[in-house]
Amino acid sequence: MSLESGPSTPSKRRSKWEEYVEEDLPHISHLKRRIKHKPSKEVEESQEVAHPTPNNLTPTFKPLHSIFVPARTRHPPILPSRSVYSYERLNQIEEGSYGVVFRARDKKTGDIVALKKLKLDEEKNGFPITALREIYALMSCRHDNVVGIREVVVGDTLTQDLKTSNLLMNNRGTIKVADFGLARRYGDPVGVGGMTQLVVTLWYRAPEILLGATTYSTAIDLWSVGCIFAELLLKEPLFQAQGELELISMIFKLLGPPTKQSWPDYSSLPLAKTISLPSPQPHQFRQKFPYLTSVGLDLLMSLLTYDPEQRISAEEALQHPYFSESPLPKHPDMFGSFPSAAAGEKRRKPYESPTAPRGANYGVLDEMQ
Amino acid sequence: MASILYPLASLSQIEKTPSREDGIPEDLEEDLRAYGCKLIHQAGILLKQKQVAVAAAQILFQRFWFVSSMKQFGVGDVGMGALYLASKLEECPLRMRDLINVYDLLLQRASHSLSSKSDQDFRYHPMSYFGSTFYELKDALVLSEMQILKRLGFNVHVVLPYGTLISYLRILGLDKNTEACTRAWGYLNDAHQTPVYALYQIPTIICAAIYLTAMHLQIPLPASSPLSWWELFDTNEEDVLSVSGHIMRLYRERTAEERRRVVGLVTKKEVRRWLEENMTASK
Repeated sequence: MSLESGPSTPSKRRSKWEEYVEEDLPHISHLKRRIKHKPSKEVEESQEVAHPTPNNLTPTFKPLHSIFVPARTRHPPILPSRSVYSYERLNQIEEGSYGVVFRARDKKTGDIVALKKLKLDEEKNGFPITALREIYALMSCRHDNVVGIREVVVGDTLTQDLKTSNLLMNNRGTIKVADFGLARRYGDPVGVGGMTQLVVTLWYRAPEILLGATTYSTAIDLWSVGCIFAELLLKEPLFQAQGELELISMIFKLLGPPTKQSWPDYSSLPLAKTISLPSPQPHQFRQKFPYLTSVGLDLLMSLLTYDPEQRISAEEALQHPYFSESPLPKHPDMFGSFPSAAAGEKRRKPYESPTAPRGANYGVLDEMQ
Repeated sequence: MASILYPLASLSQIEKTPSREDGIPEDLEEDLRAYGCKLIHQAGILLKQKQVAVAAAQILFQRFWFVSSMKQFGVGDVGMGALYLASKLEECPLRMRDLINVYDLLLQRASHSLSSKSDQDFRYHPMSYFGSTFYELKDALVLSEMQILKRLGFNVHVVLPYGTLISYLRILGLDKNTEACTRAWGYLNDAHQTPVYALYQIPTIICAAIYLTAMHLQIPLPASSPLSWWELFDTNEEDVLSVSGHIMRLYRERTAEERRRVVGLVTKKEVRRWLEENMTASK
C-alpha cells in the first residue's frame, strides 16, 4: 500500500519504532498482518513538504472530472498481502490478550516497523470482528497523530478505546493514537440491538454507557479525552475504579450527582432506576485540581459533562480558550526529546552528583572509635 | 477522500484472470461467477440477511477471482466465506452454524437438480449429528474467509451504489417514475452477479443501469454525442455500453447443458476433473 499519507512526526529526527504497527496472525491458516506507519523515508519527507494526501499523484488538469469521481487510475489494484517473512522479527515490545507486538525490520527497505501478531487460536468465529474493525479504521483514517497502517501481512503459520495506554509517544514527544480494536464505523444505521455497552476500558468509560445506553455517539470519546486530560494533570488515572458501581460513585463524587439540569435524560436510561442517587452535592473539580487555571478547569468540566448532548464536541474543544492562554502549545519540533526505549537507548546520567565531603565523616568515625 | 478509492482490478488482471490462466474458458468463468453470486443471494434471503451485506459479499467475491483461480478455490466455499466476512464488515454478523446449514441446503438442492431423480420434489436431509459434514463445511468457511482477506490484502473496503442511484435519478427527474426506479435498482442488484463492481467505478455502473432502464422503458434522455447525459456523472459512452453488455449477458438464455455444467462445478474438485476431461479432449 503506497497510500501512506501521514508522516507520523513533523520532526526530522524520529525513532522509527512507532512508524509501523504490523499485525500478524499465527493460526489456522497462519495469517499475519502488519500495520505499519510509514513508508520509506524519502516518501515521507516528500509528503511532509507537499500535502500529506495521495492527491499529489493526480494530473493537475482534469476539468471534466468531479472531485467525487477520481480518475479510474487512482483506484488501487486488487493486491494480495505479502508474506510475514518479508519482515525480520527483532525484539518483542509487548504482549496483550489480543496478541503480541514486535519490532521488526522490512528486509527489503530496512524500515523498522511495529508488527502486531494476532492470537487466533482462541477464535471460534473465524477472523475476529474487532481486528477487522481495527484494520478498517486504520486504513481509512490516516492522520499524523494516528498510528498508520502500512500493510497487513500474512504468514504461513497463520478503539472506541481511548486511554493513556493506547497513546503511543515517540522519543520526540509526538503522540499517536493506537489500538482501534473497538473503533466502529459511525453514522450507519446499526441493527435493532443497537451498539454494545461493552466498550471503552472501564476507567475511561462515559456515564451514559455505564447506565446502559445502547445508542451513543462520539461524545463517549470526548469523555475519555477528559479522563486522559485529568490523568495528565494528576500523573495518575482519574477514576481508578475496580468495578462499574465504584466508577459511578467516583464520578458522582467528583461531578456531584446528576440533576435534572445537568442531565435531563438521566432517568430514561435503562440502569438509572437501579441506582439510588446520593443527596445533592457540589462538584469537587477545584479541590481535585487546585493548580489548574480557571480556563483549563472549564475545559475539563466541559469534557467531563454528564449529558452527552451538553458535552463539548471535538471541534469546540479545539477552539477552547485553554489552548490560547499562556503557556501556548509548543510546536512539535520544540517538544522535548528523550531516549527511545524501543531502540534500547538509555538515559545518560547528566553528571555524577558530588558526594558529601569525605572529611565530614571523619569526625563521626572518630567519635565512634 | 480515501473512502471513495475502493480497489479495482488492474488492466493485467482484467486481461488474464487466474482462472483463464488455468485453462478455464471465459464464458465458463463468467457463468461460475454468476452462479456463486446467486448462491450468496439465496443464502442471504434464507438467512434474512441485510442486502448491504449480501451486496458487499458479492463484490468481495468478484474481486477475489481477479487474484485467484477457480481451480484453487470453489465458488461455493468462497461465496460462503464472502458472505460471512461481509456480514461482519457491515456489522450484522451471522452465526456460523446458520450459514453452514443454509449452504448445505443450497448445495444439496443443486446436486438434486443434477441427479437422476431431478423430476421428483427436492427434500432436504439435515446433516447428521455425528457426521463430518458440518466440520468440513466449517473448516472450509474459516479457510475461505481467511483466504479472501489474504488475497485481497485486507482491503475489504466496498462502496455500494444505491444512495448515488437515487441522487442520479433525482437529477434526471426520474425519481417519481416508480417503474424506472424499480428497474434501475434491479439492474444494479443483478450487476452484482457480474464482475463490473470490481472493474468499473460506481457512477459508471449506475449510468449503465439507468441507460438500460431508459432503453427498455423508452424514456428519452439527452444523448447526442459528445455531450450525452452520462457526461454529467463523469462517465463515457464506451464504459456505459460495456457495463450494459455485462448485465445483459446475464439474461442470455442458457442451454440445459450450460446450466448443468455450472451447477456441477461448484467445488474446486469438480472444476479440476472438468479441466482434466476437457484438456484431454482438446488434445
